[in-house]
Amino acid sequence: MTIIAKNVIKEFGEPPTRVIQGIDLSIHDGEFVSISGRSGSGKSTLLYLLSTLDDPSYGHITIDGIEPQKMSVDELHRFRNQHLGFVFQFHFLLPELTALENVLLPARRDNRHYDKEDEARELFKTFGIVDKIHKLPSQLSGGEQQRVAIARALIMRPKYLFADEPTGSLDSKNGQIVMDILKRCNSEWGTTLVLVTHEAEYAAMAQREVFLIDGRVTENHTTS
Amino acid sequence: MLFLAIRHLLSRKKQTVLIFLGISLGTLMFTVISGMQLGMREFIEARLLSNTSHIQISARDNIIDRDEMTERFYGNQPVDWLVPPAGKREEAHIMYPQGWFDRLSNDPNVTGYSPSFTMNVIISHRESKYPSSLIGIIPTMYQQVMDLQKYVSEGRITDLSEGGNKVIIGVSMLKKLGSQIGDNILISSGLGELRPFKIVGTFSMGMEQIDDSLMFASLKDVQTLNKTPGQINGISVSLVNMERAHELASQWQLTSRDKVQSWEQANAQFLQIFDFQDYTRLAVTAAILIVAGFGIYNVLSIMISQKRKEIAILRSIGYPPKMIMELFLIQGIMLGVTGAIIGLGIGHLINMYLSTVSLGIGMGGDNTMTISYAPSIYIEGFLLAFISAILASFLPARAASKLTPLDIIRSDV
Repeated sequence: MTIIAKNVIKEFGEPPTRVIQGIDLSIHDGEFVSISGRSGSGKSTLLYLLSTLDDPSYGHITIDGIEPQKMSVDELHRFRNQHLGFVFQFHFLLPELTALENVLLPARRDNRHYDKEDEARELFKTFGIVDKIHKLPSQLSGGEQQRVAIARALIMRPKYLFADEPTGSLDSKNGQIVMDILKRCNSEWGTTLVLVTHEAEYAAMAQREVFLIDGRVTENHTTS
Repeated sequence: MLFLAIRHLLSRKKQTVLIFLGISLGTLMFTVISGMQLGMREFIEARLLSNTSHIQISARDNIIDRDEMTERFYGNQPVDWLVPPAGKREEAHIMYPQGWFDRLSNDPNVTGYSPSFTMNVIISHRESKYPSSLIGIIPTMYQQVMDLQKYVSEGRITDLSEGGNKVIIGVSMLKKLGSQIGDNILISSGLGELRPFKIVGTFSMGMEQIDDSLMFASLKDVQTLNKTPGQINGISVSLVNMERAHELASQWQLTSRDKVQSWEQANAQFLQIFDFQDYTRLAVTAAILIVAGFGIYNVLSIMISQKRKEIAILRSIGYPPKMIMELFLIQGIMLGVTGAIIGLGIGHLINMYLSTVSLGIGMGGDNTMTISYAPSIYIEGFLLAFISAILASFLPARAASKLTPLDIIRSDV
């Protein structure tokens, strides 16, 4: 099963400006794909389109054969909750909740947070932040906050993980830790990882690199 | 969403407490003002009912009508009266009392009735003369309709049963006459004849104009004084349910030429004051709750603008718009409900305290403020706070639910 984008076009504004100009792309189960390009090349827009956060102006995107645009609002949100995980440049942790409560937030949607608590603790252990479990986000460093955000994205064991510049606001050491964690998610758990980054070093960690210029795919090749 | 709503409120303790206080104060004010006003209403209604029956049937004055006289004496001929006939035809009295007695005895809505004859009299005592109203009653029947004995400070209402020209007079009048129990006073119907009546008791209804001008005697004695034996000009009726007084009075009026009035109709002007009080009470409370409502609106609006990122992440991890709306509505409702409960509770305690404070003014009874604890006060107070909280939180909650994750992520990063 895959994510398939067919002739996807995205326009913004009036008169419309095309940010994504007819992209065809397939992402296979368990793959680690990086999307890179210069600022304004449309890489984040493409990620949002692939991850159901945005709808294409033209063309079609299917995830596991399902077209998210045709889902009802409730179906779409349930689908996101159960199958998709998101990591953004900013951690977006809820400041009034502890790290553990933040991680369990997706599970709380359907009152499954009690069932997921052991799993959450395991993630904290795996990510080396088990001692931060009851800390508030404000008591964590930038790297720790981002690791908590990744744990939150993974708590529902999503099939797809979308990461938009997850290392963008971190120093190189923490950036590397975060990238290692993401890579492990892909290699050990088989989570399909789509990473948007402007850092060539991190893009090269993917199995396949997609390079965008002005909303068009100029390179799409597997790494050695 | 309850968990998150509580966390949101707790994360802004100062704002939460301020809004909470606003709503509590609103409901507290409503409870106290309502308790006092409705208490005053109950007090006054009780006083009104102490000398007004639920329904009063009274004789209608038979006024001479010019057209009727013309037709009777001259048929259809045109008549130009130099001095048109006018004035009362005769002393007003109930024409067929027995018909009323039979009807009232068989009506399941009626708990009792009492025939009476009321007349204006002049009291002569020593060198002074005073106008007064003398009500002739059958004490046992009157007691079924109005609890006069409750207001009798000296003597017993049944002392009037045997007749023999005895009266029970108001305490103010006794004082004005400078008389004592056991003294004789002379009462005149205005027709010239003076009859001695013995004061056998006093009453105090707590209303000066009544205690100063009303006297009770046996029905037969009053009829004899007026030289109209067997006549009555009033029937007082008590009902199982006084709330039905207006409805029944209107019903009975349809089949009688006598005047049938409910206690509300008899005191209509007085009772209008209560309607005005109700409007004032609601206006004051509405003003307070509107202020509290704006508080909720502002706090939630500010909270939503500060929590746009959180809303974005909630949407991206699968919380649909209706759950986002629920999150903020719950916060408004929690503020409204808890604020209302605390406000009502403190208001109730204040009312309990106020009901023990002596006013130091002559109001009759135990001289403390009458406070109402009617359940309707608490229900209305709660609903006012609850509804204002829902209305105030609805708009910000709906605005929050319309935020899309992408708009927020794009604008904030």
